[in-house]
Amino acid sequence: MRKKIMAVLATGLLVAACGGAGNQGGTGGGTAGQPGTAPGFDGTTIKLGVLSPLSGPVAVIGQPLTAGNKAWFDAINAGGGIAGKYKIELVQEDTQYKADVAVQQYNKIKGDVAAFTQVLGTAPTLAVLPQLRNDKVLAAPASLDALWVRDDNLLPVGAPYQIQSINAIDHYLTEGGGTRASKICTMVQDDVYGEAGQQGIDFAAGKYGFTVTNTQRFKTGTENYTGQIGALAAAGCEMVFLTATPTDAAKIWGTAAQARFAPKWYGQSPVWTGSFAKSALTPYLQQYVSIIAEGTEWGDTSVPGMKDLVARAGSQPPDYYFGFGYNQARAMTAVLEKAVALGDLSRQGILNATTQLGTVSFEGLTGDYQYGPAATRNPPRSNTLFKVDPAKPFGLAKVKYNFTSQAAQEFQFVKADI
Amino acid sequence: MSKAHRNMVRSYAQDLRLFGSPAAKAGLALMIVVFLVLPTVVQNDFWLSVLIYAGITAVGAIGLNLLTGYCGQISLGHAFFIGAGAYVTARVGGELNLPLPLWILAAALAGAVLGALIGPFTLRLRGHYLAIVTLGLIFIGDHLWRNLKDFTGGNSGTSVNASAWVFDNLQLAGQVYSRNQGWFWLVWGLVGLTALLVKNIARTRPGRALQAIRDRDQAAEVIGVRAGRYKIAAFMVSSAIACVAGALFGSYQQFVSPDQWNLLLSIQYIAIIIVGGLGTVFGSVLGALFVGALPALIDRYSADIPGVQSSIGDSGFISVFALNQAVFGLLIVLFLVLEPRGLAGIWLRVKNYFKAWPFSY
Amino acid sequence: MTAFLQNCFAGLSLGSTYALVALGFVVIYKSTGVINFAQGGLLALGAYLGYTFSSNLPLAFGVAILLACASAAIAGAGFERIVLRRMVGQPPFAVIMITIGLLFVLSPLITGIWGFDNLQVTNPWNIRTIEAGGLVFGVRDLWTIGLTAAVVLAFFLFFRFTSLGLAMRATAFDPEAALAQGISARRVYAMSWAISSALAALAGITLAAGPGGLSPSIGDIALAAFPAMILGGLDSPAGAVLGGLVIGLAEALTRGYQDQLFSWAGDNVSVIVPYLVMILILLIRPYGLLGTREVRRI
Repeated sequence: MRKKIMAVLATGLLVAACGGAGNQGGTGGGTAGQPGTAPGFDGTTIKLGVLSPLSGPVAVIGQPLTAGNKAWFDAINAGGGIAGKYKIELVQEDTQYKADVAVQQYNKIKGDVAAFTQVLGTAPTLAVLPQLRNDKVLAAPASLDALWVRDDNLLPVGAPYQIQSINAIDHYLTEGGGTRASKICTMVQDDVYGEAGQQGIDFAAGKYGFTVTNTQRFKTGTENYTGQIGALAAAGCEMVFLTATPTDAAKIWGTAAQARFAPKWYGQSPVWTGSFAKSALTPYLQQYVSIIAEGTEWGDTSVPGMKDLVARAGSQPPDYYFGFGYNQARAMTAVLEKAVALGDLSRQGILNATTQLGTVSFEGLTGDYQYGPAATRNPPRSNTLFKVDPAKPFGLAKVKYNFTSQAAQEFQFVKADI
Repeated sequence: MSKAHRNMVRSYAQDLRLFGSPAAKAGLALMIVVFLVLPTVVQNDFWLSVLIYAGITAVGAIGLNLLTGYCGQISLGHAFFIGAGAYVTARVGGELNLPLPLWILAAALAGAVLGALIGPFTLRLRGHYLAIVTLGLIFIGDHLWRNLKDFTGGNSGTSVNASAWVFDNLQLAGQVYSRNQGWFWLVWGLVGLTALLVKNIARTRPGRALQAIRDRDQAAEVIGVRAGRYKIAAFMVSSAIACVAGALFGSYQQFVSPDQWNLLLSIQYIAIIIVGGLGTVFGSVLGALFVGALPALIDRYSADIPGVQSSIGDSGFISVFALNQAVFGLLIVLFLVLEPRGLAGIWLRVKNYFKAWPFSY
Repeated sequence: MTAFLQNCFAGLSLGSTYALVALGFVVIYKSTGVINFAQGGLLALGAYLGYTFSSNLPLAFGVAILLACASAAIAGAGFERIVLRRMVGQPPFAVIMITIGLLFVLSPLITGIWGFDNLQVTNPWNIRTIEAGGLVFGVRDLWTIGLTAAVVLAFFLFFRFTSLGLAMRATAFDPEAALAQGISARRVYAMSWAISSALAALAGITLAAGPGGLSPSIGDIALAAFPAMILGGLDSPAGAVLGGLVIGLAEALTRGYQDQLFSWAGDNVSVIVPYLVMILILLIRPYGLLGTREVRRI
């Protein structure tokens, strides 16, 4: 009996001796303009990972976003690829918006890709972040949270939600008919996304010298908002900043319309969806709702980048998230071109390229982003204000394009405490 | 006297042995070899992480099986305890930086305390009423996780920096092992320990008491089993094990958020113990492997399954997520209708067939 | 005072939806002893079918409601026939899991056909309101309360005064004795699933006709109806209606006074108030307010 056990253990140890997987890295050597092979780069094609909810409820965001990524890269490939030589291939994995699935999918494709051009969701991104740091991989998060600005392993795009809130307040106080004495309130979703919006408003309150009269936090999926709308009405709110997603926004605005509660609503960009412009709510929305976002209305060719975007969108219906994915891909392209110029497409090489990247322009589709080392990055501080117009493709018409404010310029970004 | 046949049992103690027959002993040796050798052979991070998650789920499922399978108390609130374990680990292992054995013990202790608080509900409520009250536990837990910001980090979740001692960065005999390989050994080692613990509870006096309560608690009281005490004790042990599973989950993923501890997670656990086999420890492990590996398999081979849309622009009428959900639902229905004793039941049937072979009729 | 009354009205409207769903739960439980976790899925199915009938092939909204309820009834009865028939004699736990399995199959089916986007159901109520005595009443809420009251009344009349209703009550009370009297248990089970699904569909459609529109998460409201059912007592239809109204009122009032009275307990206490109320009442009356006390014999 004992002999058997010894034999078993001995075999086990022997085989185990051949099994360490801890020392895996890649070479990165190459000359400027001609990088050597590396994980995700075989000399001709660069592979980029996409961790997105391609199915499930959040797929309404994930699908158009990924389509946006793809549209941009298809156009680049048509022109020869990165630096005219290297084509891009997307490796898509479905995270179902779950943090643990995201970690599994990351592990699945991390060996095959050079970087991740999309990781969607604050929770999945935060779950994958420790691994990104460990493996020294770059990823572009598909959300506008301020958390990403100061992180070396992340490549954010666009003006964060906090900036959106500040600019919205600025517009209200300058052109929107509000003053410091006006009753400014907020209604935010009870999660990270809501907190981002609230953070901006609180900063603006400090800068402009007003106090937020009333804050209502709601849980996604609430059926009946009478109580909260009632509380806002009772507080006499004249302006309400809303951080929500379309389903809840519809109920909130519907309840407000029914209750004859009509403040000036300013909505954060994800609040809007095209179907709002064709619903029974539209008259109310037209009168009282403005949306703070970035870029310009779909199809507005006065902005240089929009013409190409619409042409490349093909049969894609007008969608804010498509534009966002498009912008992300552009930023990632800039990073890769820099990495090729420096001659190093390894993971460390791509990270280095981010620190040496200058300002990237998005042709007006979103504000210019000043990249560089994470500690000194400067995201765009400008936004566009839209109003509801059923005649426009996406239901939104621009009111004030690409404006910024002193307070927005002064907002400080800190590294996430994670 | 000549040696008795290998399957003959001549005393109660002999009957209770865990690995009595030579076949069982061989099986044990095989399991140990696979446990030691698998990560060195399968070095792929993806499959290792799938197996690690499956192992963590197995720990939780064993705990739930003790409560629901052996003791008959339906609990839909398992996700609450798993979440609690993860947060306790974040504070004890992460902030206070205590070593692995301590944070696992802390999680188990927290689970036992929570179980003792909630256990008394079983004294007052039965059956469906208990099930729905434990369902309420999930929502109350969700409220707590989002509002106790100092403890849980609130809505944005919290990072869990608990170190796994030597398993994070294993270096043996000159070989460096990756984090996933070390964690595989840690997690499946703990699965073995938990299984041993619960099996020992089940085959001795407490286990018999639990099963008596499950079958007919009034009759059990009549013959002298203190049903109240055992129900609460079952809750405590089950919650402690669930918290340990949560601790492992949190420290492996290094980040947890309140969205993860939802009703779907609880239902997943119940589905695992049903598919695996109610009232069996082996079944919990099988169920966890099955339910954990199946989505990964579907995902990996989705390109080959006709009609499944695996990426943007692909043709197909059903997405991988929808396929996963539908398969999950169908599995539950099929198992319950065709084989209510689950995978363990199938395994037992096969085993018994061969035990009596060639006289299996 | 106006705020209080306004919140009460909102609570009544919400409570009516809960009452419909809880009633559906109780009907199935009373006749077959099963808790139907798939009620939320049937609710969503009914709402989406209503959307198709009302918006896609435009039919009058009332006709759309009737058709949606009828289709959901057929779906429910069909499920009972095909799957649950084989589960006779299995422990109740197993049957609960089967209904959960049904829920997991219904969800991808619904989203596969209708997608995940927010849909607007064409309906005559929308956001119209009626003002009376300083209070604003939403037309949809009024209709929800009215329809629920009518349906509940019809339901009780059906059970009291028709032979089929009598048959169902008899089967619920003692299936074997009912069989001995010549009552077809099969028909009763199919009937109870059909009625329950129709109730869920009605709740779904009235919910979808509100300002929020229709999205796949509409089925989640059934989870909140569980406390209503338990509170009233698992086998009491009157209890289900009562429980639904109580829970609806408690939730709406808590939400209305969150700032003044409940901010110490964290944000959004109204979400867990149904469960807290349920736990409190169960501690006092373990079988719910109007449920029958179970007599256990060895």
